[in-house]
Amino acid sequence: MAAPPPGSGEPYVVPALGACGSYRARVRIPVADVAGRTLAELSQVPPLFVDRSLRAQRRAEPVPAEERAALFARAAELFATGEPDGWTVQRYQHHVSRVGGLPIAEVRASTAAVARRLTAVADSAGRARPVGTLEAADTGAALRTPGPGLAEGRAVWARRGELFAVHAAGNHPGTHTYWPEALALGYRVAVRPSSRDPFTPFRLISALRAAGLPDALATLLPTAHEHAETLLRGADLAMVYGGEEVARRYGGDAGVLIQGPGRSKILVTADCDWREHLDVIAGSVADHAGTGCVNATAVFVEGDAAALCEALAERLAALPSLPPEDDKAVLPVQPAASARAVAAHLERTARNARPWLGADTVVDELGDGSAVLRPAVHQVEDPGDPALRTELPFPCVWVAPWTRDAGLAPLRESLVLTALTRDSALAARLLDEPSIANLYIGPYPTHLIAPGLPHDGFLGEFLMRSKSTRISNM
Amino acid sequence: MPSADLGILDLPHGARPDPDEFIRAAMRWHFDPQTGSPFWLELAPGLGFDPLSDVKTLADLSLFPDVAGRMRDVRIRDLIPQGYGSRPPIAGVFESGGTTGGPKRVVVLEDWFERLLAWSDANLDAHGFGCGTDWLGLVPTGPHFVGEFFRRSAARRGGLAFAVDLDPRWVKKLIASGRGADAGGYAEHLIAQAVDVLRTQQIGVLAVTPPLMERLAADEELAVLIDERVGGIRWGGTQMDPDSRAMYRAEVFPNVALCGNYGSTMMLGVAGERPGLGEQDPCVFEPLAPWVTFSVVDPQTRLPVAYGERGRVVVSHVSRSFLLPNSLERDLATRIRPHEDFPGGDWVADIAPVAVFEDERVIEGVY
Repeated sequence: MAAPPPGSGEPYVVPALGACGSYRARVRIPVADVAGRTLAELSQVPPLFVDRSLRAQRRAEPVPAEERAALFARAAELFATGEPDGWTVQRYQHHVSRVGGLPIAEVRASTAAVARRLTAVADSAGRARPVGTLEAADTGAALRTPGPGLAEGRAVWARRGELFAVHAAGNHPGTHTYWPEALALGYRVAVRPSSRDPFTPFRLISALRAAGLPDALATLLPTAHEHAETLLRGADLAMVYGGEEVARRYGGDAGVLIQGPGRSKILVTADCDWREHLDVIAGSVADHAGTGCVNATAVFVEGDAAALCEALAERLAALPSLPPEDDKAVLPVQPAASARAVAAHLERTARNARPWLGADTVVDELGDGSAVLRPAVHQVEDPGDPALRTELPFPCVWVAPWTRDAGLAPLRESLVLTALTRDSALAARLLDEPSIANLYIGPYPTHLIAPGLPHDGFLGEFLMRSKSTRISNM
Repeated sequence: MPSADLGILDLPHGARPDPDEFIRAAMRWHFDPQTGSPFWLELAPGLGFDPLSDVKTLADLSLFPDVAGRMRDVRIRDLIPQGYGSRPPIAGVFESGGTTGGPKRVVVLEDWFERLLAWSDANLDAHGFGCGTDWLGLVPTGPHFVGEFFRRSAARRGGLAFAVDLDPRWVKKLIASGRGADAGGYAEHLIAQAVDVLRTQQIGVLAVTPPLMERLAADEELAVLIDERVGGIRWGGTQMDPDSRAMYRAEVFPNVALCGNYGSTMMLGVAGERPGLGEQDPCVFEPLAPWVTFSVVDPQTRLPVAYGERGRVVVSHVSRSFLLPNSLERDLATRIRPHEDFPGGDWVADIAPVAVFEDERVIEGVY
């Protein structure tokens, strides 16, 4: 299928996985590792292909609800241990690591997380269901033998559409743990992979297919940037990963769920000693290589910000610079040219900030054309400083003093806020604040993940609605 | 009018003049003060070479400066060779799309149009297009050559020409100003008109641009109607990617003969898809050489790339009626070695626009 025999010298081509099968496109782009070596080629399908594939998906019937759990469990097993994409899991992980520059240990942990989440996907998808509704999985059975529920009238948890498109992210394979929930809810799903990590969705969809998911239920449609809109137009609902620009472009579209900037933050009030929680703070900044939207980009401290900066800088400076495939690697790696561009951007942004680990120490070249992005720590005087909103794909944190006068304003627009505080009145106000998506009070890292804790709301809130249904026994 | 010794410029359709001999004759015509155009006669002293003695071969056309940009402001009558007399047989004045800067204008004379049509006719025969059937055109109209080419092609093959107004500049303007939805609305407006013709008339040939072909194919019922009724689709105006082309041939319009045209205003015509290409072959275009010739070059050095390599297309038009050598087009193509029976420049394949790389500036964010 996709993989040529080892040693054949032919490039590994990631095909499109269309509704009618796998397709190696004539037009392909190289997928290069951080040192610029081409490791694979990614098919680029034209709008005609996308359009026809989506149309075929629309005609397909979802897998019966009662068969889904077993199918997902088989797929999870294949993803974690099989060769659904023609690669062993080690080879898959190596390529994700070399191309995305993500530490191999992080990729391995992510493989396990994807498999674990996939096994439990039906359960996690169901957690979004309002208590006042009948479960969609039950609806079919309920319709076959209308019992007291529907005969008296009930809200049924029903899909808002049939076809869900995902413009996937390439920063971290863990982002692919979310969209399978749409499959669990009976959606047909079309994924446009990022050229920075086409391997994970290819492996995942291949695993789902090998586990028995019909081709038309989940597709991989790699397209050129300029054709990405075709996918959104053809689907009922979509999820799009991106920065500020993407958020602006689709902000007004109720059919598009934006996974925008995270701007996750930490607040330490005077009644807590940050020294006891340095692990949590440093971990929030730099764990998972600091590449996620759940990594903290700003720390607000009621007290001595300089002392916190000093301690944080010392802690982060100790992280080693290693190639991503090294077992001990913990920092992200990029092509040296992009790393330098990131550092130059940081330097401009940090003009008015006090560097504890400044832009000049960010780029650490590995000698093969790639460079480690080393942590940056900057201190600003004003909790309203716009630099605090700067989110970059490596451990890069801004520290500012916080006062009661500054209030909630600097803490708004956060995917995650970890508040190290004993002030229950403040905690209540933070809980009420609508622009803070997730709130952890206490020594929890911003990247805390646990069953039942949705990443940014439950996907089901976006994909489903409560439909009033009453069926008479005519 | 044409002087006897330059008859090589007017050989009948099907004849293949020696390219170098042909070029020398054309130089004598275009740089003779009695027959050349005011535009070229005025440029001649400043060229830095003598076209009559220095331009001996097809390859020597590369001596000429690229004057395509002058077609934006030149007085169009100054482009007509004086040898045609005071009442030259004009087929029309045509303009480029005007993607970058103002539109470029060329003037097409009847003898050239006739030659082009005769050649294109043979190309359509070779692709299995029928005669005597009616045509529907979804191609740029107004000042654009392709609209007139469509009408005359239909008429020449005994068909009636049903047309839809299409203004490509408006579409480009909408897209450039971020009004993509309005551009989509305009496309739907065009498709609706085409659907009416397709449903009520017996259309045997469809002339269409690839983006509109995509929209026709997106309507499954319509695609089936086209596949059943239409014998041939001639596409052109913009490039078609090789995967779409393969899908049209195999899945969408398996019963329709497809024939691509690669044209540009600066060529005063089109190059036609080679008939009989296999499923895995690239889409090779052959010009009407030596009147229209291609080279595929490295845009920096302007030297030809190797056969099979990608480069920018350079077009030369050399006919009795018009001279526009050595214009660098926006398009990228693979350089193809022409069949030995058809000498005269390169063939080209897999036309694509010059890639615009995404901005290298850092965009904040983690995705």
